This record gives sequence, C-alpha cells and structure tokens, in this order.
Amino acid sequence: MRYSIPIFWRNKYSYYRLELTKCKKCGKVAFFRRSICPYCRSREVEVITSKGIGKVVTYTVSYFRGSTNLESYPRIIALIELSEGVKVIGELSDVKLEDIKEGMEVEAVLRRYSSDDPYGLIYYGIKFIPRVKK
Amino acid sequence: MVTLFELREGVGIVGWGVYIPIWRVRAVEIAKMWGFSEELTRSLWIEEKAVASEDEDTVTMGWYAAKVAIERGGIDPNHIGAIFVGTESKPYAVKPSATIIADALMDSNIKSASDIEFACRAGGEGIRNSIALVASGMTKYALVIGSDTAQANPGDVLELTASSGAAAYVIGPAQESVAVFEGSTVYVTDTPDFWRRDGSPYPQHGEIFTGEPAYFHHIVSAAKLLFKELGLKPSDFDYAVFHQPNGKFPLQVGRMLGFPKEKILPGIVTPWIGNTYNGSSLIGLAKVLEEAKPGSRILVVTFGSGAGSDAFSIIVKEGIEERVKRGPKVIDFLKRKKYVSYGEYAKNRRIITRIR
Amino acid sequence: MRNVYIVSASMIKVDRYFNKSYKELVLDALTKILDEGSVEHIDYTVVSTLLSDSILHQLDLSTVLTQHLGLNPIPSLRVETGESSGLTAIELGYSLIASGKADSVLVVGVEKLTEYPTNIINENYSKILDYEIETIRNISPPDYAALIMKEYMKRYRIKREELTIWPIKMHDNASRNPYAQLRFRVDRDKVLNSITIAEPIKLLDAFPVGDGSAIILLGSERTLRRSNSECMKVTYITSSTSQPIYLRDDILEFTALRKTFKTLQEGSRLDLEEALLEIHDSYSIYAYLILEELGIAPRGKAPNTVDKLNNVNLSGGLKARGHPFGATGIYQVAEAYSILSDRGLGELKYNGKYGLIHSMSGPDYNSRLCLIEKVM
Repeated sequence: MRYSIPIFWRNKYSYYRLELTKCKKCGKVAFFRRSICPYCRSREVEVITSKGIGKVVTYTVSYFRGSTNLESYPRIIALIELSEGVKVIGELSDVKLEDIKEGMEVEAVLRRYSSDDPYGLIYYGIKFIPRVKK
Repeated sequence: MVTLFELREGVGIVGWGVYIPIWRVRAVEIAKMWGFSEELTRSLWIEEKAVASEDEDTVTMGWYAAKVAIERGGIDPNHIGAIFVGTESKPYAVKPSATIIADALMDSNIKSASDIEFACRAGGEGIRNSIALVASGMTKYALVIGSDTAQANPGDVLELTASSGAAAYVIGPAQESVAVFEGSTVYVTDTPDFWRRDGSPYPQHGEIFTGEPAYFHHIVSAAKLLFKELGLKPSDFDYAVFHQPNGKFPLQVGRMLGFPKEKILPGIVTPWIGNTYNGSSLIGLAKVLEEAKPGSRILVVTFGSGAGSDAFSIIVKEGIEERVKRGPKVIDFLKRKKYVSYGEYAKNRRIITRIR
Repeated sequence: MRNVYIVSASMIKVDRYFNKSYKELVLDALTKILDEGSVEHIDYTVVSTLLSDSILHQLDLSTVLTQHLGLNPIPSLRVETGESSGLTAIELGYSLIASGKADSVLVVGVEKLTEYPTNIINENYSKILDYEIETIRNISPPDYAALIMKEYMKRYRIKREELTIWPIKMHDNASRNPYAQLRFRVDRDKVLNSITIAEPIKLLDAFPVGDGSAIILLGSERTLRRSNSECMKVTYITSSTSQPIYLRDDILEFTALRKTFKTLQEGSRLDLEEALLEIHDSYSIYAYLILEELGIAPRGKAPNTVDKLNNVNLSGGLKARGHPFGATGIYQVAEAYSILSDRGLGELKYNGKYGLIHSMSGPDYNSRLCLIEKVM
C-alpha cells in the first residue's frame, strides 16, 4: 500500500470540488480549503466552491516522469485564472498538444490524479478540460 | 410469475445528463489491426467508438453525467435520497463508485447508495428501483447513473464496438418531471450469453448465441409484456429506444416488434460512439428527450446479458424544451470529438499492460 | 554576537559514485580537514542532506554519521529546508558559534542521488512542493520553472535561443573547476536539441543528477587563531520564505530573495562590484531572475549581461558543477571561500573582498543569502 488513506480522504472535498478559501478580514481568496489565510494569517475564513470555469494563463507540457502511471505522460500543467478572480495550478486533460492556447476557456472536471496500481487506492480530483459547448 | 407494476402518475424524469469522452478511434482501424475485413464494420453499422482517456473511468464519467442531470433538473442535490451506479466496469470490485460520486456532488450523508451489476441493464434496474423509492415516498429524488468503460477481448469482434460513456437520470415526483413513467415491466432469465469471471480483464460471449436467445428474446418479451399491460401497440409510440450493442440490432429488434425505422433512428447513437454498455439505451433515451415534443410517447427497452430487459413507457410533458436548454446535449457530445490511433486507444484503456 | 570564521573547506568531485556510500563520500571530503588536524577541536556537527529518508532509508543520519566517523561524543543534528538545506546548515553552524554555544562547528553536506533510477529521484524531489496541494496533484518543480520561463519570454519578448547563454557560460566555467560534474562545453544547438523536461525547459537548462559531499569548518576567533587559515569571516546570513506560485501576483518576482537581499543590504556593507557570487541556477531561467532580483541586470535584460559576467558562478553553478541537493549550499560556500583565497580552486581565482552565496528551494519558496568577507 503506497498511498495513504487519510492524507487524501480528509481533503476529499477540496480534491473532488474546486474549493477556495475566502478571508473575511483581508478579502483575498486562495486556492484550496484552508483554516488560515495565507495572506494575512487571519483564522476568520470561509470555504467556498468555485463555479469551475476559468482561463488558461500559461501552461507547460511536462515530460518529468515519476515511476508510476506512465500512461499519463506528458502531463499538461497550467496556471488557470478562475472566473472568481483567483489563480489555481492544475492539470489539463482532453487536449491534443497543438490545441492548447493561452487564454482558452476551461472547466473543472473530476478525473483520476493517479492510482497505486494494481491493488491500491485511486486518487480522484479536479482537472481542467476545454469548456464543453452547450 | 412476474407481477406487472403500472404507475398511475407519481414518478418521472426531473433531469438527465450524459457524458461521452472526447476521443474516438475509428472502427476500421481496429478491424485492420486484427485482420477483420472492413465490410464487417458496415454490416454491424459501427463507424467509430468513444475512448475514455487514461484519467477517466466509470466514476469520473458518471460524475459528469450526474452533474448535468442535477443542474438540468434544477434540484438541490442534498434532496437526493438514493444513488445507484449501474456498471460492469467498477474501478473497485469492492468499494462503491456511488459514494465517490455522491461525496463529490452532495453534502448529505443520509442516502441509499450502491453499485448495481446486471451487465448492460444495471442502469435500467436502478431506474426501476428509483421509481419504487419515489412512488413509495421513501425519497424525494433518486439519482441513477449508467456508466461504463466497456471491456472487450482485444481482437474479438466485440472490440469494434466496446466503448466508454455515461448517462444519469434524476427520478422524482411527476409534478417536477418533464417526462413521466406511464408503466414499466421487466423480464429476466438465467441466460449466459456474455459474462466476465471475477479477476478477468475481458468478457467472453457466445457470439451468435448473444442474438436470438438473449438480446432479441428478452427485449421482445419485455416489450410485449408492456404492450399487453398498458394496452398499447407500436403505433401508439413516437419513439422506440433499444439497447444498442451496434447500429444494426436496434433496427432489427424494432422491426420484429413492428416499429418503422423512423421511430428508432433518433435514439440510435452507437454507430458514432460505440456500445457504452450501461450508457447504451440511456444515452439513446437522452437524445430522444432532447428532441421530443410534449405529448410524445417513448418506448425504452434495455438489455443486459445474463440476461434481462426492462421496458418503460415514458410520456413527455410540457416544459421539456426549457429543461433541455439547461445543459450540454447528446448531440453536443457527439460533435465534441478528436481522433486517436489504435496505439493511443490501447494505452489509454490499459490494453497494453505494464508491470510496476 | 561573536564573529564566525571559515577555518577550512573541502569537497569531492560531484559525480556518480555507485561504489561509495554516503559515509564514504563524507570521509573522502573530510580527508583534507582531517589531515590539517583541526578535527580535535570540533564541538558540533551540522549535517545537511535532503532525500536521505526516502532514498538512503536513513533517519537521524547525523548521529549515524557521527558514530561512523568516530566523532562521538560530539553532538550533531540534521537540517532540511528543501534544496537550500546546505546554506541552512551554515546558518545554523553560524548561530551556534555567534551565540557562544560552540567554538568549532563541522558543517557537512552529503547527497546520494544515484541509489535509485532517476524516475524515483524525480518523484521524491517533487516533495519539496506542497504534497497535498501540488505533488499529489501531479505538479513538479520543473513545471513551475517552465511556466516562469514562458512568461519571461512573453513579457520581455525574448526568443528561446537567447536564453541558452546561461548553460553555455556555466559549462564553460565548469571546464575550469576540477570538482564539477559536467566539464564538457555546450553550444546553442546542443542546448536546444537536448531532451525536453517541461516545455520549454530542456535537459541542458537544468541541473544534472549526481552524488556529492562538501564540508565547511566554521570557527570562532579562538579556533581561527589556532589554525593557519586565511581570515575569511561569515559576515551575514539570512533567509526568507514566499508564497506558492499560484498565490503570487506576478510569477516573475522572487519575493523571498528580494526580502532576504534587502535585509542583508541593511545589515552589511556589501558592494556587489567587489563580490564573487554563487547563485542557485537549478534552472537557467531562475539564474536570469536571480541576477535581476540582485540588481546585477535590469528586468528582462539578464541574458544580455551573462556573457560578460566574470564574477558569478565561476564553479559552473548548479547547472554544470552539479546539484547534490543537500550538499549544494555547502559546495557554493566552499567554492567561494576557495576561489577568493590565495590558493584558489584549481584554475579558478578571484580578487575580491566579498563572497555572496545564494541558495533557494523550488521557485524561490525559500531563499537564503550568505555573505563571506576576506578580513585583513
């Protein structure tokens, strides 16, 4: 068993939903569920869930390999600005390399982050795909 | 003796959604790889199939379809009292997919949740259970998901069609529904036409045996039972949606029952996305709901190997067009596509295996 | 606060040592210091090593090393601050002496990255980022360098080829450093044709993977007088931390380095014109940002200044001398000390008063500066 159960499970809402922490004192919003504002250290914070829509600010095609989940390379890592005005770092999926453009609209979806194959846990979490047109 | 359950008004479809992966692999590429003649794809009427990305599975696809269904229904997901995931490609043999999707979409822990297995008709079984739960008042809404990353032995004819996709339905009170269940029947037998042993990555099937004794017998039996119980005939229906392992079978079984091609074609999706197993008839139904006018009567007959069929008669109500607009439609997903090679498909679907 | 001096410095060539354990690498590095006879006067050992837990399967490495080297009963401890651990060890050794708690501190850096295939080193190295928010979500350090490089090229309208000057210069410098891992020259085409790590970062933009050990012996005035060493003081040492990339307003700003440098300038009389610098060029793009943050070049202009630089990373930097993680900061101090000294380091010599050493972890998640000064 290479993957921890509680490390992932206790954060599952942040992984399964795009959670942001809004500081009641300084007003800033930061990616991920937190109990303390990383900007002003206030503990008066509230957790909100993002609508999940954003734009790619910049991205890279990463060939930096670990030793597992080799079917996932290369990975597309992108800095994304959400419609709420806050930036997140995440992975893009459902794209061919030639189709990625800075500024493209993306939406948050649940995907596999990785899996402790063949018998261990699957870690699920939010990644981003080109916005699905209605 | 099967007791038929006829509903008076109570229960209907409040919202629905589908998810089809973006990637497609052409059927002729699979045929060429394994030495099938190209005419085979035409005779089955299969052009291309949807391929889930390596980071997708039954849970992730089911999640998306469910999210659309909830948004389309405009309901508070915390009032969903039951969630069923019908699948034959569970990421965990033991550990429900339903709870992962539930925790991603809802906060309430008070709900019934389980994964159902009955080959391709598990989603249909979920709908039957949901109708009962809603009609009895045990829950306000029930969420049913049919989702699969279908498996087929590489090189087997089944590989031409086995694909990935999901559909989800929010079942609820008739007053909130835009399509109501007029009636439903079910017909099951022990018929081993197709199975997958525990631990086996791929299924086995009886080829010609999957036809007459399995697919055709059960669909026709369930449909005829429904006609008898409701006093209806094919001409009373505007649409007939069948489980669709390929493009040809639903046309064939529809003809056997007396339906003209025009009533069956709108619900056919397999030629362009493949056989999504538990998504199959449910994606077909979603497509029909997205074009049917109020007052239309829809026949839906599922089929799952092992074997069994559900037959539903659904009446479309006023207000459906507005609800269709609330989310991506089947045709939006049909248009959303990019092609991959056989090799990329094989890698994505882990047909090429590695050791750790 | 007492004065702290560098009494001795020693290092081994950064290389792949399949046939030596970390204990043997330290012993090899310690040889010179042992021969000088300063070992009897050590009060404390501070060890810096990054991946020893996961790769060497060794906890409390400082104690085990102390036992092995026969240094017991001398107390020891290990520090870890990501890639900048080496300079942190110096900071701690400095504090022990400055406060009067010790007179003579052996600061040891050691790293073995060849015990496992690179894939496994990669995934452990990614743990310098936030495991829960970044690592577990498949983000790795070179991804950040890539995003920063892309933004830099876009903002200052610089072409990719123009950014190859740093690796070219570093490899040229390293050809004169007998302890460097990579001593071959490279040119623009070699850099651009090397394997892509995270587009546009190429293999020859990034540090090589190797093993190494470097040691600094710090001492009080009393210890220095007992030795025959040149008088080089550790004048100032300070550090700072910054926000993760996605919380930054501008990803081209290294605010930890900026804060550290401001604190250092306020606390010392550093003149960069007379200084020898060793900066943390884990990725070539970081070198440009560091040079600009230190005021050596205006924003967006660092690549133009590299060719003429004769006082930065004479060792070849992390790019060519190597980056044995925990040992790197100590290599940098040892190199600055040696190059500034009368003896020099191989062919390398620099006539200057100051040595400014910069070490950081990730994209400036923490940055540290150490100022050493020749005292007459």
